[in-house]
Order: sequence, then structure tokens, then C-alpha cells
Amino acid sequence: MSKPIIQTQELTKNYKEVKALDHLDLTVFEGEIFGYLGPNGAGKTTTLLALMGLTVPTSGTATVGGYDIIKDSRKIRQIAGMLPEGAGFYEDLTARQNLNYICQLNDIPKLEMEKSIKELLDAVDLRNRADMKVEKFSRGMKQRLGIAEVLVKNPKIAFFDEPTIGLDPQGTKEIRDLLIRLNKEENLTIFLSSHLLYEVQQTCQRVGIIRAGKLIVADTIENLSNRIAGKDKVVIEFELSKVDADLIKDIEGIDGVISVDQNERKLYVHMREDKSGDVSQMIIKHGATILLMKPKERSLEDIFIEYYKEGA
Amino acid sequence: MAGSLTVCRKELADVLGSKRYIVLFALIFLMSTMSAYQGAQFISNNTGSNFLAIFYGSQFGFSFTTLMVYFGPIIGLALGFDAINKERTSGSLSVTLCQPIYRDSIINGKILAATASLSLLVVSTIGIMCGVAVSILGFGPTLADVSKIGMYMLLTVIYLAFWLCLGILFSTVTKKISTSILMSVSVWIFCAMVISIVAGLLGNYLVPISMPSGPGIGRGNSTNPFNSPELRALFQQRNTLETNIRRISPSYLYNEAGSAILGLIGGGGFGGGGFIEIGGGANPFRAAGAGDLTQALAMVWPQIMALIVGMIVCFAASYMLFLRQEIRPGG
Repeated sequence: MSKPIIQTQELTKNYKEVKALDHLDLTVFEGEIFGYLGPNGAGKTTTLLALMGLTVPTSGTATVGGYDIIKDSRKIRQIAGMLPEGAGFYEDLTARQNLNYICQLNDIPKLEMEKSIKELLDAVDLRNRADMKVEKFSRGMKQRLGIAEVLVKNPKIAFFDEPTIGLDPQGTKEIRDLLIRLNKEENLTIFLSSHLLYEVQQTCQRVGIIRAGKLIVADTIENLSNRIAGKDKVVIEFELSKVDADLIKDIEGIDGVISVDQNERKLYVHMREDKSGDVSQMIIKHGATILLMKPKERSLEDIFIEYYKEGA
Repeated sequence: MAGSLTVCRKELADVLGSKRYIVLFALIFLMSTMSAYQGAQFISNNTGSNFLAIFYGSQFGFSFTTLMVYFGPIIGLALGFDAINKERTSGSLSVTLCQPIYRDSIINGKILAATASLSLLVVSTIGIMCGVAVSILGFGPTLADVSKIGMYMLLTVIYLAFWLCLGILFSTVTKKISTSILMSVSVWIFCAMVISIVAGLLGNYLVPISMPSGPGIGRGNSTNPFNSPELRALFQQRNTLETNIRRISPSYLYNEAGSAILGLIGGGGFGGGGFIEIGGGANPFRAAGAGDLTQALAMVWPQIMALIVGMIVCFAASYMLFLRQEIRPGG
């Protein structure tokens, strides 16, 4: 595995009475898309603000790209970009002028600036709207402009806080594809904070789940899924032409089968080891036809709920 | 510092192009030109009055000085009252803060840009006024007058910058723009109008004066009781008290300092002592343009310092608050 680019140790942040971050230990590796999951108020935004040096932690330390978040926060903001939640723009200015301003704040030389702005506007598909005032932009266009503002400084790390919230499915997909492409082509490390599980599952290689300021778990989706599976190793879904009580009883009688769940004409057979051959024979013996048979995948939602139950 | 300049450049372009600034500029410009015309008429009608009377001389009710005393706060506050909270609400503040700049660059740049716009407004307005007056009168200011005009410009910029900083303070303290507008308007009404009423009431209450009555008053009486030294002392005492209360208001301080610089010696300010009456008009007998600048400055130095200190306090307060505030996006 590649080397860590973000590391926090015992990072804690207290707001008056609320513990937003509670001894958070988090590691993100270079070149990965890291999904940061948690419900509203779990501390996702606070983590991002602390990592960008925009809020001072109560205790603990963290480094981003090798820079300390307290001492070198300005250097972090040179190599890392962030699209904050509810990001806004100067509505009276055009998209190009907004990008220009961000470039100036980043001290990007003028020649380089014009070229990279042009490329970026192409990348986020705003080239036809470049000289339109931002106040006329739709939500999706603003979000894409936000991504362009993050990328214009050519960062090593990009933080996105709920980048697709409030977007239509088409817009969501476009942004998701853009993020994946950037990760592949530019080897950009992406830290994606979201509570939209489907989105994270589609985009991220590794996820971390945060609850009340603490990181519950961080791993690849596959590993998490296996870890939850635990006792019943194999679950196979069958869709049959007909189902009756006798059939279920007989399947449960097969050696190695733990239990059978029924949902209309679908059966979920939980087994200690793969006994799908025996199960199929039993089904055929009962005169039913197998329309579909596949191992059941655990969605991130199952994983998430499972870990939340465990943590509570 | 580089960050401040970038922010300042962008803010300056924003302010100068904003409808708000253009409307204010047009209004002030129009009223100033009219007051310069009036002032010039005043000078033609009052021989012996000096060129500087274009700022305070009036025939139809208002002059440039009263205009600035009463509407100056609006100009300053209008450029400041939503400087920070508007960006906080729209979310552009958090995007800007994600860039490699120090947080104070933002507030420094904003104040710098707004002060530059205010200076532009003051300098160009006064310049145009002088031009109008010269073309009507046929003579221009003397060298001494020019230095007084320069000082008066500076004073006006400081006065407006004070209100600007106060507006920025309000925009830092409050989250909602509507709240900071309300605060700005309240403070303006208090300083420009209510303070005089308060001063009058308190003066009346703290220094009661019973009017002489009875056999003392009458025709043929050799001693007029209104002229008794006791009564005059009481009036003097009440007057001093009221003046001191009015000095709480920066508008009054500006009024005093401005009248001294322009050569209206003897306190009371423009409008012959009646601070509240807009367009009280200057007393032509006092408007001789007497006294030189250093003398005037020595007299009103405390007032000028008070304005500068007030401005610095407002700036420092908003600066500290802004640096400590949590930047939560969207709120």
C-alpha cells in the first residue's frame, strides 16, 4: 500500500458543550478515494475544517501532506483544495472571473492561469457558460464550478464535503465520473465526505465510518462486508417459479444450511459453506424452476447499519 | 500582505461597480454640486465672506457640511454593513478561506478597498464643488484655503471611515444582514438626531432654570433680569452640559472639528449652534474665514483624535472577532 498522506492522532475538537471530534485517529493514503461516512452532526465537516487549518483543534495533532495543521495551515491550503458544504461564489462575477480570483489568491502566474482555467472549464463542462454571471447558474453548474475552483491550484489532495447534495441524478453521475477520472488521471487523493451511501459505494476504494466524533472503522468496502458476514459465511439468493412451506422445511434440513428467509418467491439461504448444489437439487425435486441464483451482496447500507448497531 | 492586496483589488472593483455605490455617488454628487452653487450665491451676497463658504453657506436649506454630518454615516455604513455576513451567508467566505491566505487578509482588504472608495467619493466631490464655485465666482481659493480644504477632506474621510468600520463591526457580529441593517440605522438615527433631544432633556433636568417673573419684569425697569449674571451662568452651564452630551455622537465631533477647520470659530458648529436643524445656515458675521489652520487644529485636536480612536476601536474589534469566529459553512 502507498504511503499515508493524511494522518490524525487523537484529534479532538470541543464546541462549548458538544464534542465534535473525540480522539479521532484517521489515516488516508496517497492516491486513493477515501469515503468519509456518517450521519449529520457526526463530525465530518469539523474534520475537514480542521484538516484544512480552518478551525483549531482542542487537542491532538494531524498532518496533511506532511504539514502540521496548526503550524503550516497556509502550506496545506497550497497543496490541498476543498469544496466546503454549501460553497458559494461571487454572484456578480462570471465563472471565469471567480476562477481568476481564486488563482490570484493562490499566486498562480498569469500565463499559467489562463491556460489552466480554460482546461478546467472544459473538464467541468462549463466552457459555454464561462462568461455568464454565476447568479444565473443552476445548482449543478455551481457545484461544477466549485470543483473547478478546487482543482485550479493543481492540488495533491482534494476535500469534498457533500459534493452532490441537492443535485439531480444526471448531475450526480457527472460529478462522480469526474472525480473518478481525476483520481485515475492525475493521481489525485480525494477525501469525500458524504452521507449518501450509494454514492460512496460507487466512488470510493476505502471508507471510514464516523460516529459522534469517533472513527468506528476504516477499511475497503469488501473487507468490511466480509467482516460483518462473520458467522454465516455464504448467503445465496434463489428466485423460484413457486415456493411452498415443505420446500423451505426440506432445504433447512440439508446439512450445512443454517436458515432460510423467504420474501415472496425469493429465498435467501444462509449456509456455513457453499451447499448451493444440494439446495438446487432439492428445489428441482419439489418441481420448482430456478429463475435466478446468485450470491447475495452486502450493500454499504447493510455495513453501515451493522456498524452503527455495534457501536451503539 | 500580498493576500490583502489581492482581496483589496477585487473588492475595489466590486464596490466601484456596485449599484449601491453608484447610487450613493450620484446622490452625493448632485447635492454637493447644488450646495456649491448655493455657497457661491452666498458668497456673492455676503461680501467679505471667504471662498470656504461654499461648504457651509446656504440659502435654501442645506450645505455640504450638513449633508456630510447627516448623510455621511449612511455612506460609510452602506459600504460596511454586509461586508462579512453577506459572504458568510452566501458561502463564498468559506471558499475564499480555503485558499492559501491568512484570514486577516480578507478583512484588511475589504476595509482598504472601502476606504479607498470613500476617499475617491470625498475627493472628487470636493474637487467638483471647487470647480463649480470658481466658475461662478470668478476667483479661487487662496493657498491657505487650499490647505484648509485638504484638511477638511482628510477629516471627512476619517469620519466616513469611522462609520465604515462600525458597519463592518456590525456585519461581523451579526449573522443576518437584516440585523446589521437595523443596527446601522438605529445607531445613525441616534447619533444624528436622538442625541440632541437627549442632551436637551438632560440639560433641562440637571440644570433647572426658573424664569424670572413678577415685579422684576417690566417696562421701565432699569435692570433686565434676563441679563442677571446668575441666570447667564446657569444658561452657560446648561449649554456646556448639553454640548458635552452631544459629543458622544461622532457626527457632532465631526461637526465641531469641521467648522473649526473651515474657519467658523467658536464651537457650536455649522448652523449657528443649532446642531439639529439641518440647514440652519451659517451666521455670515462669524463666517469670516478667520483663524489659521494650525490654530484651528489645536482647538479641535481632541475631536479629531476621538474620531480616529473610535475608528481604530471598531476596526480592532471586528478584526479580533473575525479571527476568532468559527467558519461553519452556510451559517
